[in-house]
Amino acid sequence: MPLPHDFAQPSVRRDWTRQLLGPITEAKWNELARDLFHWQFAQAPAYRRLCLAYGVTPEKLISWRDIPAVPQQLFKQTLLYAHDSAPPAAIYVTSGTNTGQPGRQHLLATDIYRAVAVEGARRAGFLADDVELHFLTPSPGEAPYSSLSAMFGFWQKAFRQTGPRFWVRRGHFEFGRLREILATQIKTRRPGRGLRPIAICGTAFSFVHLLDAWAGLPPLRLPRGSRLLETGGFKGRSREISKAELHAQLARTFGVRDNAIWNEYGMSELSSQAYARGTNGLHQTPPWARVLVVDPATGREVGIGKKGLVRWFDLANTDSVLALQTLDLAERTAHGFRLIGRLPRTEPRGCSLSAEDIVARNITSTP
Amino acid sequence: MTTRQRLDLLAHAYPRLFPRAELVRLLRAQLGQVDALDKWIPLDGVRVRARAPKIIYHICAGNLAVSAWTSLAHGLLLGARNVVKLPGDRDDSSARREILDFIRGLPVPLRKLVETHRTLDTDLLRRADAVIAFGSDATMGHLRAQVRWEQKFIAHGHALSLLWLADPNRLTTRQARACATDIQTYDQLGCLSPQAIYVPPGTDFEALGRKLARALEAHWRGLKKKPARPLSVAARIAEARDMAHALGQRIWLPPKNHFGWTLIHDPDPAFQPSPLHGVIYLRQAAPAHLRAALASVAGRISTVGMAGHLPARWENVFLSLGVGRFCAAGRMQFPPLTWHHDGRPSLGDLVTWVDAESLA
Repeated sequence: MPLPHDFAQPSVRRDWTRQLLGPITEAKWNELARDLFHWQFAQAPAYRRLCLAYGVTPEKLISWRDIPAVPQQLFKQTLLYAHDSAPPAAIYVTSGTNTGQPGRQHLLATDIYRAVAVEGARRAGFLADDVELHFLTPSPGEAPYSSLSAMFGFWQKAFRQTGPRFWVRRGHFEFGRLREILATQIKTRRPGRGLRPIAICGTAFSFVHLLDAWAGLPPLRLPRGSRLLETGGFKGRSREISKAELHAQLARTFGVRDNAIWNEYGMSELSSQAYARGTNGLHQTPPWARVLVVDPATGREVGIGKKGLVRWFDLANTDSVLALQTLDLAERTAHGFRLIGRLPRTEPRGCSLSAEDIVARNITSTP
Repeated sequence: MTTRQRLDLLAHAYPRLFPRAELVRLLRAQLGQVDALDKWIPLDGVRVRARAPKIIYHICAGNLAVSAWTSLAHGLLLGARNVVKLPGDRDDSSARREILDFIRGLPVPLRKLVETHRTLDTDLLRRADAVIAFGSDATMGHLRAQVRWEQKFIAHGHALSLLWLADPNRLTTRQARACATDIQTYDQLGCLSPQAIYVPPGTDFEALGRKLARALEAHWRGLKKKPARPLSVAARIAEARDMAHALGQRIWLPPKNHFGWTLIHDPDPAFQPSPLHGVIYLRQAAPAHLRAALASVAGRISTVGMAGHLPARWENVFLSLGVGRFCAAGRMQFPPLTWHHDGRPSLGDLVTWVDAESLA
């Protein structure tokens, strides 16, 4: 059975991206998933071994739902890269907290990741042309191994944002400067003229530090249409507060409503992200990615209203594996999934750690 | 109530867990005499008597009830007031319920010596004469910071155990069954549960795996009450299996892939923790490489269960790694009551001594 595509070819990647961003019917989804599975089965030995253990081959595959998913942990143990010896343009490293053994996601090129990261956030409704973006992370230049910084960098470029945007520099949170800029903008607003909405994006953990740094300061009232985006959870290492409490504090501090606070659910091992709006919002994936909430004992999707583990299928993840089994607990709903959190006693992991590391290394933040 | 009375009550209530003869041996081994708490006993020309702590605060682990039962039995033998901080509810362990069942099963005079708490009572913790705690290293650190300097603080942090096979190519069915018993007892959740089976070089893994798999399945089938496999447990077992498949490791699974047990041959000798719940790794190492393979858990190895004779060069390596107990395969989970848990005399650690010298 010949390979349907060679994802090392730039023209194939361009065409693939075009298909992902175009209309995708159920039949088309199945076809794309089958083609990508075929490529990765052929190219990634560790993935092929897993598939063979389940008796799933490209020839036998009937539905995308039957595509075996690799445990997220596998990225820490072996290379999952579908381009053999071709040098990757980017390597994104997972935090690997506690184990000291990070996972690595190799991308031959960042073209597809860039396209879906921007388009996914735009279609979810978080990104818009008139929004001014700020990021509570290091810039991609300072953190070249962070997929989160990379994504924020893509957003910055796609929406032609100029001026300082990344508020972690040389290991310091620069919350003081961020506050100055925001406060000046709000104060100098001319009567009768609106301000551009502001979007502040960061890990949940970095927001906790911002709240700590700004404790005792008066709240800001961000312009109408402003929004916040938190991601990554607390990874079990920071001052943990509940999501509801974090959102409540953020709403007070920035003068925004709960439904202006978003959660991004993604990971270094994937190219696509799911978004939820408001504390109780459901996560939804873009059309080129899907999530099944599965029972680990059977590997099958649970019923609506039942809890299970999140299993990702990401058609944009061409360079490693499209199907990823997480240890993240979720409830399946009729229109998405409700992320509950990591299974108890799962090792802390994820992009939140980069901010955590900053504090762990006793690097300070300015109030 | 005298020690003998308490001993009799305990042995009568739980004759299999705490046989009378073993309780007597424990008291004699660690206090010199059964009556050392109740009267003066002669010792090297002086008279001594043991003094029990008035209050013992037991902080129980959430994974396993048996450690709490034993800790409590020690406190009861000593006649102390036993305050039990129960573990929280967990979906992968019934420890909390089993601890409560044990207390309910005590005869009234002993039950009166026990009280249970759902949360940590820091005031009582600080008033206790002795604190016995089971749990994670972080929990131990947290507790140590709260106790007074003159309090006895007996901490049992994380530990693990191993099986070692002397001649795996000639492992008998009986030995294989003994290994299965060690692995599956208490669903592999205690510090006495083996997380890996170490074998010497030259092992025929296919033959060994078949034997062990048969024994594991037979033992699993024979379990009257099979441990639950809630989502969190199933997730970890499934992950371990998928990892093994993807890494090309040889894996033996039960019929219909049920989640009772999983046997994996990992060619890397370096110890890696098992997700427990019946997942056991086969690893091969020569004595010269064993120290490096187990370096990450040096000082944390509670027990080595052995199928066959342990040659001195192996024993020396294990001793240098701080192993606290050697026993026959099949007996790992059933140490005698006189066992030095974490290398210490469990009962003897709790008492203080009064000496009365001759007036002459």
